[in-house]
Amino acid sequence: MAASIVEVRDLRKRYGNEDVVKGISFSVKKGEIFGILGPNGAGKTTTLEMIETMRPIDGGTVTVDGIDVARNSDKIKYLIGIQPQSPAFQDKTTLKELLEMFAAAYGEKIDTTKFLNDVDLSEKAGSFIDQLSGGQKQRFSIAAALVHNPKVFFMDEPTTGLDPQARRNLWELVQGIRDRGITVVLTTHYMDEAELLCDRVAIMDRGEIIIINSPKNLVKQLLDRGFKKAQHVEQADLEDVFIDLTGKQLRD
Amino acid sequence: MNRRSWLTIATFVKLSTKRFFRDRLAIFFTVIFPLIFLFVFGSINSGGNSDISFKVAVINQSESSFAKDYASKLDKDKVFEVNKEINSLDSAKELMNRGELDAAVILPGDFGNNSDQGFPKGEVNVYYTQNNEQAGRTISTVLEGQLKEINSSLVQAQTPFTIKSQQTNDRSLTAFDYTFAGLIGFAIIGLGVFGPVNVFPELKKQGILRRLHTTPLKVWQYFVANALSQTIVGLMTLSILFIVSILVFDLKVVGNLFELALFIAISIISILGIGLAVGGWASNERQAAPLSNIIVFPMIFLSGTFFPRFLMPEWLQQISTFLPLTPVIDGIRLITTEGKHLLDIGPQVGLILAWTVVIYIIAFRVFKWE
Repeated sequence: MAASIVEVRDLRKRYGNEDVVKGISFSVKKGEIFGILGPNGAGKTTTLEMIETMRPIDGGTVTVDGIDVARNSDKIKYLIGIQPQSPAFQDKTTLKELLEMFAAAYGEKIDTTKFLNDVDLSEKAGSFIDQLSGGQKQRFSIAAALVHNPKVFFMDEPTTGLDPQARRNLWELVQGIRDRGITVVLTTHYMDEAELLCDRVAIMDRGEIIIINSPKNLVKQLLDRGFKKAQHVEQADLEDVFIDLTGKQLRD
Repeated sequence: MNRRSWLTIATFVKLSTKRFFRDRLAIFFTVIFPLIFLFVFGSINSGGNSDISFKVAVINQSESSFAKDYASKLDKDKVFEVNKEINSLDSAKELMNRGELDAAVILPGDFGNNSDQGFPKGEVNVYYTQNNEQAGRTISTVLEGQLKEINSSLVQAQTPFTIKSQQTNDRSLTAFDYTFAGLIGFAIIGLGVFGPVNVFPELKKQGILRRLHTTPLKVWQYFVANALSQTIVGLMTLSILFIVSILVFDLKVVGNLFELALFIAISIISILGIGLAVGGWASNERQAAPLSNIIVFPMIFLSGTFFPRFLMPEWLQQISTFLPLTPVIDGIRLITTEGKHLLDIGPQVGLILAWTVVIYIIAFRVFKWE
């Protein structure tokens, strides 16, 4: 079994009278894609933000690569890359300049062309952020999050609002990042995304983790309990039709 | 400061300076807006100082040729701006009551008629209102002087005491030279306060600052980068104001230009702290706008931006001496118009530095990334 890189123990968050995260524990293994699934308001984003040092931890501990998040937030920032839910970058600054700026925030100087190439945006180097489509913005946000070569990459609902082509393209990108040895932790409420992308998932609801396992095992466990879908499953669905007709080619 | 921090700051300075020159709205408020003020104040001030003139009505009730000559002479006199549409005392009084006319000069019916001795004589009547006594007296004195000259040409008389007035070749300060420092102060406020106060809440609203906060970027690095890039932008845009003023309004900069630039740079950094504090504290525009107005407007009016502080009552002068903008404007004025050196204006430099420390401590404490 691979060593774990993120350890979460009894993590808690309270807003006013409401417990948003109720003492959850899980660990993420080095080199895997770990998904946190759940409906809106389940506490996914809050959990992620506590691990990312962006919100104070009310109870429990989190370590990344053995370093305590609450006590060493500065060190943690060098280890992790973050893609927020809706990525925002300052206007009137080119993509090349933005990457330069983010690298500089880590005290680094990088080859921006290579990073733009990785996310297929090299021809947009001189463009401003408001000239990009939704999918391009997400891809750029990934490049900006990886300028300092982090060990763990956190993505908060990376494909929300994207068209099917852009979603597929992003999945390939995420798999590529994992293949480079970077551990990926993402949240989503799309089950197809989790099933296709994630090595393991944690299903979260009302601030608690209900179950953690690989998508395949979870499906198998359900079937073993005698679950049957009410409807006959077709060999294709409407999304397959859509992709078949419009192609996988990116549109932006 | 280590090498990494230096790279961080240098990159942020470079990129935000570049960004400024792509931002048309920011350029308007830091360059065009002060330029408009410059032209408004410049054209008001350049006319008034060198030739003061009084608005008068000349009502000639006499038929004599002497009276006609005298009236046309008044008309040509530069001291008087003669309103030719008025031909009765009543209409002149009406205008005087409204403050549109300084005095009415009446040449009575017998003015300029020859006397028994064979030369013309008469009495000029000058009317002015109670509130315009000073102007009325000055006009009377000027007329008296002119009549004296005429008298002496008609009647030979001894004049043991005389006055001879001469213009020196030295160029004194014009009102514009004086107002100019205030305008530079106003431009620094626009650059240092209104800039960040407008930009920061917007950056927070879009989550741009929050995104930066996910990186190891420190607040002090961000502040230093902002201060340096605003100083670069400020020195560039203020030089435009200086060049226009020298070329168009004949501004005379007596002091050392390098010292002036250094003093302005310190001033920009100091005033920018107010913008960083307000913009950095406020979560949105609704918090930022009223707070910045409360701080900035009293300073604009009390620190000598648009009218000199010596016109204020003593107690107000004493209070306004210690506002952050006052030493800035006074210092710029002392360097440009009196040629003072930085060492001579120690009190101003000291006060600015003291404010800078106080302002930045506050800004640092209240700063929020979101």
